[in-house]
Amino acid sequence: MELPMVNGDTMKDDETEYLSEEISPSESGSDEDVKLSEPSKKAVNNRDALLDKLGDISWPENVEWRHKLSIDIDQEQEVDVNDDLARELAFYTQALEGTRQAFEKLQSMGLPFLRPSDYYAEMVKADSHMEKVKGRLLDEKRKMEEAEERRKAREAKRLSKEIQAQKMKERAKQKKEDIESVKKWRKQRQQSGFADNGNDAGKVLDFEDGKVFERSKKKRPGVSPGDRSGGKAKQAFGKGKKQMKRDSKFGFGGKKGLKKQNTADTTNDFGGFSKKGADAGNKKRKR
Amino acid sequence: MGKKRKRSEKAEAVAVPKKDDAAPERPVRTLLGWKDKNETEVKDNEDSHSPVFRNKEKVLVTCSRRIIYRYRHLMLNLVSLLPHCKKDNKVESKETKGATLNELVELKNCSSCLFFECRKAKDLYLWMAKCPNGPSVKFLVSAVHTMEELKLTGNHLKGSRPLLTFSTNFEKDAHWKLLKEMLLQIFETPKDHRKAKPFHDHVFVFSIVDDHIWFRNYQISVPHNESDKLPRGGLDKMTLIEVGPRFCLNPIKIFGGSFGGPTLYENPFYVSPNQIRALQKKKKAGKFAKKVKAKTRRKMHEMSNPLEPDEFADMWKD
Repeated sequence: MELPMVNGDTMKDDETEYLSEEISPSESGSDEDVKLSEPSKKAVNNRDALLDKLGDISWPENVEWRHKLSIDIDQEQEVDVNDDLARELAFYTQALEGTRQAFEKLQSMGLPFLRPSDYYAEMVKADSHMEKVKGRLLDEKRKMEEAEERRKAREAKRLSKEIQAQKMKERAKQKKEDIESVKKWRKQRQQSGFADNGNDAGKVLDFEDGKVFERSKKKRPGVSPGDRSGGKAKQAFGKGKKQMKRDSKFGFGGKKGLKKQNTADTTNDFGGFSKKGADAGNKKRKR
Repeated sequence: MGKKRKRSEKAEAVAVPKKDDAAPERPVRTLLGWKDKNETEVKDNEDSHSPVFRNKEKVLVTCSRRIIYRYRHLMLNLVSLLPHCKKDNKVESKETKGATLNELVELKNCSSCLFFECRKAKDLYLWMAKCPNGPSVKFLVSAVHTMEELKLTGNHLKGSRPLLTFSTNFEKDAHWKLLKEMLLQIFETPKDHRKAKPFHDHVFVFSIVDDHIWFRNYQISVPHNESDKLPRGGLDKMTLIEVGPRFCLNPIKIFGGSFGGPTLYENPFYVSPNQIRALQKKKKAGKFAKKVKAKTRRKMHEMSNPLEPDEFADMWKD
């Protein structure tokens, strides 16, 4: 920070205007500021008068620190103005260091300086503003979490696809093996000439794993082969299968009067009378 | 014992004639009352600090008429940060320097002034002056971020006294020292001010980087139980959250008087924003002229070096 002292200390009331010479086209990257490449030659710097004025305005020497509350912090290294992060970090460390020293001093003075949690007073930013700030922070957090979740879901899907493929393969293999073993057993039986029929439970199908044949524990509802929803689709008007069965047995409720009379369509309808007597068990079932 | 008596007698002897001298003429009014009275007081109580030092700083905050929203918000933020300030109406842009402002400050019984002058709806200049005789400084303000930005999440008590931190760069030169003193007096809330709140929960940072003064305001948050003692690891767990406005000051000139007077210091590196804009425009201005020149040059070149006639020129002619 050396300034060229052209005018010297002797000239007191020099009011020369500075000339802006050689504004280099190489502008520094900082916001809207351009520095002269070389300092203007005619800039005034009247150090004596400055120190005089300083003496005029400054508070007396022996003022208590409590009035001033100021700390001087040493700035270790030169901070590059354009490097935002480093600059802000430098300011932050300066503030932190200053606060530490100040708090130590205040603590030694024994005065209250920390705000208790139940001290309610007007704050510099209104509560409504702080609500907005909180909302924004929560939004950011939520966005991050959502992105995380989406990523995880994608991963999981990929994984689960692989797992599913594997399972299918296994199942197919298992099925094949089962069929193979049944065939083998049949062959065996054939060969041994159907000797012991129902007598010996020992020659029961010997599975490779030694597992007893048991139905899969998974509950699979009784699905008709033509039902592509796997039995899980809800029937018309949200009636379950139970309700439909009851309907077919006991009727739909409502007016009973004309139910047994022929209408135009049902007069010539002989679909219900079949030779084979299908479903002869359920006579009451409406056709 | 004897020594003490002698000293006090001397002091009194000195004090009395001085007071007589001072009575007829109006003494100089400074922060501590009348200037010569202060001197005698200091001489009297040499062992303890002057009991009548009271920081009676009052800052008048005004702006010029055509100020834009961002700078107006900055001004309002500063008003909320300084409980010892008085906000006044906008002043006319003409004749703002000199007499008008000084009168205004006197009227409002203030001892310093922060005047925000916005020009061309783009540039903000801040005048910081100690009235009535004090020095004044003109700054160019840049990199303004107000408290309303949602990224500055801290908050603190309105009116609590701030802790000030200055970087040691302020001791390097005379004008920096003067600026430091002015900043200290203007930004530090007086200790027993009516509107001052008791605790210290924020800290100002003034630091010189690249010959600019950078201002930051942080909230201090440290987990604690009692209000006058820090817990064991308290100092380590302390965190700072940025609260308040951010700005960057570029000193242009320092004057000896309030809003005028002899120039004590000029910033040799300062380029006014108008000049910057003019320069940029100049760079673009020559484009068309250069184009025309290049065209004529090409023509001349073609004329002076004619091409050989092309063999295939008549191939497709009927």
